[in-house]
Amino acid sequence: MKKTLFILAAVALGFSLPVHAKGNYEAGKAKSTTCAACHGADGVSSVPSFPKLAGQQRDYLYHSLKDYKSGKRKNPIMAGQVQTLSDADMLDLALYYSKQKGLYLKY
Amino acid sequence: MKTTTMTLCASVLMALAVPVQAAGDPKAGQLKTSMCAGCHGIPGWRTAYPSVYSVPALGGQHADYIVAALKAYKSGERSHPSMKGIAGSLSDQDMEDLAAYYASSYTGPAK
Repeated sequence: MKKTLFILAAVALGFSLPVHAKGNYEAGKAKSTTCAACHGADGVSSVPSFPKLAGQQRDYLYHSLKDYKSGKRKNPIMAGQVQTLSDADMLDLALYYSKQKGLYLKY
Repeated sequence: MKTTTMTLCASVLMALAVPVQAAGDPKAGQLKTSMCAGCHGIPGWRTAYPSVYSVPALGGQHADYIVAALKAYKSGERSHPSMKGIAGSLSDQDMEDLAAYYASSYTGPAK
């Protein structure tokens, strides 16, 4: 019995973690309109001082947003933008931008 | 008259704009990537400390943004132990060159 419970818990965990970690692409796309004003359509910014987000690493984007919200990473513009973002919003946005074509790994 | 004024204005603008943009030399930058490539050049590489996440992709990023990031790491305004150490060892010219290298050959969509 105990073993069954353990297996059920393990399965439940296995289902729940990836969902949480991945975010939702369509939701991210819908939420990205605010970001587009500076970071460009689909995260391809045309302003040199604003980073391109398209193709950036998903967990790096998520980490950056978290750090802006906590104040660990300081930027007057981004500090204001992230205040209204929930953890789920950040995951959605990070997933959406990571799936766009743009940045790439360069040796 | 109009043409002369416009040409003069254009020349002044060019003189102001070109040196700033041409400051970084991508070929010189490529020779300086040895410290960067150990993390930013390895597919799927993640930071180990203080928290774990994938290192950002640099290929195709705006040069201005890369320079700003490096300067912020050097000054301590932006904190990451590894990047503070590495950026701290770079001159302004190194930063411009590296940024020019990573920004070059962007193949994504233009918008």
